[in-house]
Amino acid sequence: MKSKLLVSLLSCVASTALFAAESPAVGTTAPDFSVTDSKGKTQSVSQYKGKYVVLEWFNPECPFVKKHYGSGNMQKLQEEFTGKGVVWLSIDSSAAGKEGHLTAEQANQKMTEWKTKQTALLLDPNGKAGQTYGAKNTPHMFVINPEGKIIYEGAIDSKASANPADLANSTNYVKVALEESMGGKPVTTATTKPYGCSVKY
Amino acid sequence: MTRLRCRGYSSMVSNGMNPGFSMRSSLLAAISVLAFVCPGRAQTFQGKELVQASLVADVNAVVPGKPLTVGLLLKMAPHWHTYWRFSGDAGLPTEIKWNLPPGWKAGEIQWPLPFRMIDPGDIETYGYDNEVMLLQEITPPASVPDSSIKLAAEASWLVCEKLCIPGSANLQIGLPVSDKNAAANEDLFTRYRRSLPQKWPEGKVASATWSRGGQELQLTVESAALANYPAADFFPLPDANVVVGHPKTERSAPGKLIFRVPIEGDPKLSALNGVVVFGQSANSAERNGWTLPTEVQMLSGGSGSLWKFLLFGFLGGFILNLMPCVLPVISLKIFGFIQHAGQDRRRILRSGLAFIAGIFAWFIGLALLLIGLKSAGREITWAFQFTNPYFVLFMSAVVLVFALNLFGVFEITLPQSASRGVLGWTAREGDAGSFFQGVFATVLATPCTAPFLGTALGFAFTQSGWTILLMFVAIAAGMSSPYLLLSAQPAWMRLLPKPGAWMVHVKQLMGFLLLATLLFLLWVLGAQRGVEGVIWASCFLLALSVVCWMKGVFLVPTASHVARVVSILLALLLLLGSGYYFIGEKFRATRLASGEMQMQGDWQPFTPERLEEELGQGHSVFVDFTAAWCLTCKFNEASVLESSAVRDAFQRHGVVKIKADWTNADPAITKILKQFGRPGVPMYVLYPGKNAEPILFPELLTQSLILEKLETLLPHVAAQ
Repeated sequence: MKSKLLVSLLSCVASTALFAAESPAVGTTAPDFSVTDSKGKTQSVSQYKGKYVVLEWFNPECPFVKKHYGSGNMQKLQEEFTGKGVVWLSIDSSAAGKEGHLTAEQANQKMTEWKTKQTALLLDPNGKAGQTYGAKNTPHMFVINPEGKIIYEGAIDSKASANPADLANSTNYVKVALEESMGGKPVTTATTKPYGCSVKY
Repeated sequence: MTRLRCRGYSSMVSNGMNPGFSMRSSLLAAISVLAFVCPGRAQTFQGKELVQASLVADVNAVVPGKPLTVGLLLKMAPHWHTYWRFSGDAGLPTEIKWNLPPGWKAGEIQWPLPFRMIDPGDIETYGYDNEVMLLQEITPPASVPDSSIKLAAEASWLVCEKLCIPGSANLQIGLPVSDKNAAANEDLFTRYRRSLPQKWPEGKVASATWSRGGQELQLTVESAALANYPAADFFPLPDANVVVGHPKTERSAPGKLIFRVPIEGDPKLSALNGVVVFGQSANSAERNGWTLPTEVQMLSGGSGSLWKFLLFGFLGGFILNLMPCVLPVISLKIFGFIQHAGQDRRRILRSGLAFIAGIFAWFIGLALLLIGLKSAGREITWAFQFTNPYFVLFMSAVVLVFALNLFGVFEITLPQSASRGVLGWTAREGDAGSFFQGVFATVLATPCTAPFLGTALGFAFTQSGWTILLMFVAIAAGMSSPYLLLSAQPAWMRLLPKPGAWMVHVKQLMGFLLLATLLFLLWVLGAQRGVEGVIWASCFLLALSVVCWMKGVFLVPTASHVARVVSILLALLLLLGSGYYFIGEKFRATRLASGEMQMQGDWQPFTPERLEEELGQGHSVFVDFTAAWCLTCKFNEASVLESSAVRDAFQRHGVVKIKADWTNADPAITKILKQFGRPGVPMYVLYPGKNAEPILFPELLTQSLILEKLETLLPHVAAQ
């Protein structure tokens, strides 16, 4: 067993039933993982050092996720920020046989069908990336700045509901955090309680 | 009998991308047992009825001006559940939007006691299964012109089993208006009113106090009434965007419960709202609950508690003096007293004060560093500097140089200006020496968290920068208190032996004590960087010794100018060259040692997965959080954990023993230390079983402590 001091980016998997899989706190260094995406490429947080990275926990069957994709809201956000050089990683941590589990083929199909605009859709059926980040919900969002620090963690927006009609009068925390940080300002709302379905580990 | 008319529809988001609506026309059933209940609107999914929603009133007619209670009754399909007002890690609370005629008012939703539900991936939610009724008080205006009224509401909920489906229904209830009424649906309302949390008991029946330790809020509830209920639970009601973890329950006495709630973010948060629930068994239907009073007294943050923690800090600082690795420096100090015995009292006092200033300087410096790290969002822990091999290396070098100085290889001469600058008064050489001795003693004392210090620092690290600073000042005061007394105590002088030639011998003896300390530091390095690391570090130390020798031989006042310059250059060359080669090249390249210490016999190395696995198999687990540089840990291990009585007891109870080695600041271990609100090692935790609360032991273990806990908590395992 290699010691983890210099390899401190090795994730520590929080253990079930003992320790809540706590999300790493805002301001700390974003832990790394390495997960294969739907195109078969290996994706990690560390390879995008120097760029903003958005992590979005994803489950195509979850009504809260459907709220944001069915309305085109999530695609719009992905398009806007990947256009500004942000790396957007959607992560599906549903275990095999659980709701929302996708094979690479199904994932690519879903991306085409929903016209998604993320950088990559990561398939994490063993829940490693999910547990590293203590992801509890779909959608559960993390924003990482170019220095590799977490600057936002929590819900996608201010209205916890599965109703697309609520999008109009809600604040999108991810958008605000990215815009503030890119403008050189501190993020005003850096931690919120995420809402959505539970991640189906 | 009034005929009621109910209309409405319920909807759900079907499996497609678009919400689909399922309309269910329902014929009005004859009014039977459930009078004044509208037939429910059902939410169906794949042909299965998931939720049936209806409105129920507790009266048979509306009397103007007289409040009535209306309940939203939700009947869920088996294994499907809806959520409480705080849904936990996932889910959404049920919502009710009333559409009442003008002048009518609806009160707050009254939520029955929730149940705790746990899903894979440690996702904990709070809600209801089978059936639930949410109550609301409706107040009609003083005059109602109509002979009957319809109260309409839109209810929306999230219902989950393995998947979640939002549902909603437009519901109505019709009631005649009359000048008198009678109760209706009594059984249903009695049952659900019984399951509501009660107000916090009046007077001295029960007390609740919050305190904060680390990233955790603790709620202590004391009440004699609790002794009759073996199961207890706490359901938090955090404000929006306060992120809370899963509450853990401990019972420290029959009538005393401690709930620990991990929290994220807000370091100033000192209390939560919530409901304390107790009953014969967890999640049983027959439970009682008390809503926490809003003005719960706070322990931490109150000045009284700060004083308590500062006192702990002071005591902890005092005990630091007794740490084994500090002994050589302490002896040095005593030696200093002997040296000055012949001089006047003021001189002694001043040297004592310089020593104390050194102690304070180090602690305040450390406090400022920690505050800086903390504001930068880094995880901070006590003795963190010892987890860095370069710091240990630096310490080794300092110890060695001191030892050589004591052996008489060279003399340390500090420039006058430096000592003046530091101490702010005209000092003689001895004062600066004393000052650095103070710094040095303190540095050596930090590898271990003394008892009391853990508690105090765990508290301080969660507080403001000023509190951290105050805490460190208290520790410094505690550590320096004996010297202050000794320096100021003239009666001491008579007890001291006369200075003489023997002092040189004692000085050399002290040098050997320092070498023993150096061995310990090298051993720590070895634990961090393996044998190679120790060898390269020793090469550098050897070169450093030669440099010291050069200083002693050539840099004396009698040496010529040229000899001085040449020897300084040579010494610098040797120092920088060996530093660059042995440390910068060789030492830096050493592989990190395995991080696992010699696992003696039956201890297993810690990983979160291993702990989980052992507990999953129904074992009890004892975890020893330790580090190579932690002497308190070593002491506890030798005298308690490895004693035959404790070893036998562990074996008898079938306890799995795990060692968590924090020598290299393994982040997985740091995380757990923080979860228990501890700033560093040692830490000892007993996990009695998968669903039982972990037990945290104090930093100074005793055999009886462990044996007692094992006896009370664990069943005997027949000897195999």
